[in-house]
Amino acid sequence: MRYRTQAVAYPYFVVALLLYGLQMVFGILSITKYLGPDPLMGLLPFDISKEIHTNVLIVWVLTGFMGATYWLVPEESRTELHSVRLAYLQLGLWTIAGVTAVVSYLFHWTEGNKLLEQPQPVKFAIVIVMLMFLYNVGMTIWKARRLTTTEGVLVAGLALAALLYLPALLTFDNYTLSIYYRWWTVHLWVEGVWEMIQGGLLAYLLIRLSGADREVMEKWLYVIVGLTFIAGILGTAHHYFWIGVPSYWLFIGGFFSALEPLAFLGMAIYAYTAMRRSGLAHPNRLALHWTIGSAIFSALGAGILGLAHTWPSVNKWTHGTMITAMHGHMAFFGAYVMIVLAMITYAAPGLFGHDQESTESPAGVWAFWLQMAGMFGMTMAFAAAGIGQTYLERILGLGYLETQHKIQVHFLMVLGTGTLFTLGVALYLYDFFFLAPKRRPAPAAWPPAPEAQG
Amino acid sequence: MTKRQTRIFFLGSTALFSLIFLALTVDTHQRIRTLTHSGEITPAVIAGKHVWHRKNCINCHTLLGEGAYYAPDLTKIAEQRGAPYLRSFLTDPSKFYNETRDRRLMPNLHLTPGEIDEVIAFLSWVGKIDNQGWPPRPILVSGAAIPGSDVGGAAPQAASDDPVAVGQALFRQTPPGCFACHSTAAGVNMVGPSLSGIAATAAARVTAADYTGKATDAAGYIRESILLPNASLAPGANYSANGVSLMPPGFEQSLQPAQLDALVAYLMTLK
Repeated sequence: MRYRTQAVAYPYFVVALLLYGLQMVFGILSITKYLGPDPLMGLLPFDISKEIHTNVLIVWVLTGFMGATYWLVPEESRTELHSVRLAYLQLGLWTIAGVTAVVSYLFHWTEGNKLLEQPQPVKFAIVIVMLMFLYNVGMTIWKARRLTTTEGVLVAGLALAALLYLPALLTFDNYTLSIYYRWWTVHLWVEGVWEMIQGGLLAYLLIRLSGADREVMEKWLYVIVGLTFIAGILGTAHHYFWIGVPSYWLFIGGFFSALEPLAFLGMAIYAYTAMRRSGLAHPNRLALHWTIGSAIFSALGAGILGLAHTWPSVNKWTHGTMITAMHGHMAFFGAYVMIVLAMITYAAPGLFGHDQESTESPAGVWAFWLQMAGMFGMTMAFAAAGIGQTYLERILGLGYLETQHKIQVHFLMVLGTGTLFTLGVALYLYDFFFLAPKRRPAPAAWPPAPEAQG
Repeated sequence: MTKRQTRIFFLGSTALFSLIFLALTVDTHQRIRTLTHSGEITPAVIAGKHVWHRKNCINCHTLLGEGAYYAPDLTKIAEQRGAPYLRSFLTDPSKFYNETRDRRLMPNLHLTPGEIDEVIAFLSWVGKIDNQGWPPRPILVSGAAIPGSDVGGAAPQAASDDPVAVGQALFRQTPPGCFACHSTAAGVNMVGPSLSGIAATAAARVTAADYTGKATDAAGYIRESILLPNASLAPGANYSANGVSLMPPGFEQSLQPAQLDALVAYLMTLK
């Protein structure tokens, strides 16, 4: 840790990882309900467990992004953070808003708009938190008078993410219009500005881990985010296929979605070439694993598996089936979960006040591979379920309920591989909370003593 | 390529494609009025949309294919099931489905009759949206569009003694085997015509000038069609030959009076 105030990232990572654990609980619960009958139906029906599963994901990934930014910005701008107090206050408010949302779902208080279910007051709290965050980061950079491309891309991504949350505050009488603008937040987040954030974090990690030349890395970073937006902005159209908008969106959606894998492919090549040059020499090998893993898994999950069902003549049959769950799980995990875990794994030794040599533990390695295997298995199981469903229900015309019954074995596979995945998450948490702090004699007091600036 | 050039590439292409997207959005806004029949968005439809959101329907069901995959798509449900069935179903879903048999059951949302009518108004409006003809073929909640296909399990048993639930189960049992020739999905005409919207069709047919039977109302027409298929013939060359319906006779003997009542009650919900 080069700057004392980078320590702010630690509580953010703590909150993020605890919520990651919580997300698993509701994920396992949700898939178990697919096997039915559900003894918890009166208390916690599927809609609530699923809603919490997805909302907690969004909250914790954003918490991770914010923590990662607080870690990265001082280093890039070579200064201390503008206000540590504001950062803590922001985390407090953010956690309260997140917990309020989860609790309100349990009591059936919801806006019932997929992924944007947060009750209105919580939505306003989220906007305030975003503004506090951007102010703090903005002031830090402003005072330092130093803005690198890497942090510029990262912060611009976060600022745009805040901006694109605003359509979520609007309501429309026409359901088609609500869907139209809901995707401005959801799609332009995950296939637009969040990718920009991923790109920024990836560039930072690659520069640090491989020692690659900054000028070259940042030059290509622009190309990658450029490709992201060329494909991503009009790629929104693949959500507009069957909702009651003009049919020109079909062609636009098909064409630009087919370009979407390019940016992810670019990222994978980017990571691979950077690593090839340095020969994986960095001592924090786990952080390397998560970084390269993110580039590869997002190319597979978001790029290839997304492309698998965005062509209109395919999507006509697969729309609204388990095929979407197949793509969604691997895409979110590869692009966003893994990049946040890469940042946490990279920053952990610094946050715990010891050197990079001491970072690799068997628990950490197992955590990585179990999550890899678990997610791969889940994706395959969802794919099998989705193909079965598309064929039986959509093409042959078998009833929904009968089809679900016939593809039940695949839900059993999701449960099995999901349990494997959860085991990996549990190990990651155990490593972060219990093993990593003790790996070397911890500093006497927390936060660690300030280090010399430089 | 220099870093400056790639920056220009990034900023330029992002600005260009954002502009195109915004321009298309303006155009979409104008065309959406016709495509979604926005003139038909009555206060009841809007109120129904609020019920849809408030009750978190989208986190189990899909609508226009969007939502969660734990429960069936509802895009065309108003057309497939009709308001009377949906009213009865939403009042108590456990009358129609059974958790042990179907593995899943919709929780009772305790909607008021007013809320139920609103949500049905909303779903009816959604069903008419011009959405490039999706779904390409009907998505059924239960049963099968193709006669004889293996739907799994034994013949369905009614989840309660509600006449509509009994009639619905009976429709798929053999005998009488109604489902072997009739679908309840719109436009899926097999040996017999689709029974989607049969209550409305019957009400219109009974008052038509060329009607030859003796029934005076829709329920009577349906009853007559089951018992005396030749009393009035459904239009369509494939459904009758030489003035004789292709529907098998003899249901007056094979069906108990209570079973007949239940079948009529169920078919009357298909509006």
